[in-house]
Amino acid sequence: MTAMNRLLFGTVMLAVSASGAAAEEVLLTLTGAVTGGQVELTQADLDALEWHEIATSTTVTDGQPVFRGVLMRDILDHAQASGDTVTARALNDYVIDIPMVDFHEFDVIAALYMDGIALTPRDKGPVWIVYPRDDHSVLADIRYDMRWVWQLRALHVQ
Amino acid sequence: MNRLGAYWRSAGLGALIVVCLGLLIVAATNIILIERQMQISATQNMTWIFGQTQIEALSLSAALAGDTSSDDVLLRYDLLVSRLNLLRDGPQWRFLSEAGLAEGLMGWRDGLLRLDPAEGGDTAALKAHVTALTTALRQKASQVMSREWQVQSERLDRLSKLHLLALAAIIGALISGAALAVLLVDRERRLMRARVDRLRAERLQRDLNRERAASEGYRRFADLIAHQVRTPLAVIDSAMHRLTRSGNPPTPEVIHAKADVSREAVARLVRLTDTALLMARVDRGAVAPDLACHDLDRIAATAIEDLHAGRRVTLRSGNRPVTAICDPVLTSEILSNLLSNALLYSPPHTEIDVRPVLNGEMAMCDVCDQGSGMTPEELTSAFDNFMRGARHRDLPGSGLGLPLARHLARLQGGDLTLKPREGGGLIARLSLPGKVAT
Repeated sequence: MTAMNRLLFGTVMLAVSASGAAAEEVLLTLTGAVTGGQVELTQADLDALEWHEIATSTTVTDGQPVFRGVLMRDILDHAQASGDTVTARALNDYVIDIPMVDFHEFDVIAALYMDGIALTPRDKGPVWIVYPRDDHSVLADIRYDMRWVWQLRALHVQ
Repeated sequence: MNRLGAYWRSAGLGALIVVCLGLLIVAATNIILIERQMQISATQNMTWIFGQTQIEALSLSAALAGDTSSDDVLLRYDLLVSRLNLLRDGPQWRFLSEAGLAEGLMGWRDGLLRLDPAEGGDTAALKAHVTALTTALRQKASQVMSREWQVQSERLDRLSKLHLLALAAIIGALISGAALAVLLVDRERRLMRARVDRLRAERLQRDLNRERAASEGYRRFADLIAHQVRTPLAVIDSAMHRLTRSGNPPTPEVIHAKADVSREAVARLVRLTDTALLMARVDRGAVAPDLACHDLDRIAATAIEDLHAGRRVTLRSGNRPVTAICDPVLTSEILSNLLSNALLYSPPHTEIDVRPVLNGEMAMCDVCDQGSGMTPEELTSAFDNFMRGARHRDLPGSGLGLPLARHLARLQGGDLTLKPREGGGLIARLSLPGKVAT
């Protein structure tokens, strides 16, 4: 299954590369209380982590799309992040503080695929923070909906 | 009629309970609905989403006008496309369609995509397109806001309606609950009244029984007068008649004999009167015992002596003195009463024993005769006023002796009991508070 996913991932990567994104391009930048004060993650770095899937409804789409990506806590562990709050910043400079406990309490993922299609900056990509909204009733709340950052590009840990 | 009333009251109670519960369920359902509709969803933030689209259009305009790098133009272009794509997504698109604002929006998007700078689109044409888009968006922005507020107001109206409904249901439940309480209180009052009626009936029954007992007492009293007063009077009358008979004057011996008979009859009448008077005093509570320590043996000996009964009565004292806390006059009265009974109701040749003993903390004196004793029925009514054994109706006696003796014993903190003697006869036991030798 994983091999299958990797194969699929590779194919999509080729497609992304063709549209101008390089595999070595930095997708996410972590700053603050992380290894060396700054950690830059490329597609390849994320590819090395374990991938997860969440099928959940969202507030801005219909139905229950399947999201695929890396657990936020895995990304933070990878960067040896330590702190209480993660400040997420999007391409359009949307900024929001997310408590670190969210990532340990829920399987929040940094999604790169929605329904098998890679997220791009022209949609809500390249990275969309997705909460398992349908698995926990408490998450169906505007206070959590605000933390679904799309077009995520940077995380600041403090 | 009353049963029909009870039926309607029960039916009313049941109906009220159903109404009360039903209204509470309605209220609870409405409150749950309100709770569910209270959630704010991000879709409702359309003003912000639309504003973001406007901002991205303006940013792209600015990037195209300035000296900014082509990378920045590409980023701004991507962001504007992403915002237009977001507007095209399900909930947002429905909102815009319902507001009549969707029309033309996707045409703007398609035009934008045709001028993609990443694929070498015409920058000047792109600039003109974006400027025109900015103007179009500005015109729609206020309409989006107005629509948003309208949606929110409608939602609040719905919530308010649910809220009022819940409130009305709760007030209804309160009213029916109050009615229920009134019914229950009324029911309780009825039950209480029934209980009071029952207690009153019981008291009436008791009063009636007492009245019956009293009238039975009067009947027995009349019986007593008939036998115990008439007999001595008849004896005296007969003696007087003999003494005054014409001719054949009585000899001095006859006069003496008749005088003796008459005196004895008078003495019986006096005894009867004394007993009745003492009983009346005891009933009135006018007899106050003078309690002190006394030797029960000596009181018994004196009582025996006073009877002049010869050798028939034997005092059988134990080897220890029996000291009772009592009134010697009253105790003597009791014992002579018991002894008179024993003499009267046992054959002349039999013996009567008197045994004072100390039993625990009680000083006792048993008077045992060898007469015919009493039947169980006689034993149970022996202490009723004016009660005479059916077999002894014609023997002298007031029917007050035993009740009076028991009264006197109880006045001194003691009691008087009767039990059959083994081998025939009766044991009358006087018990009095004893003084334990230390």
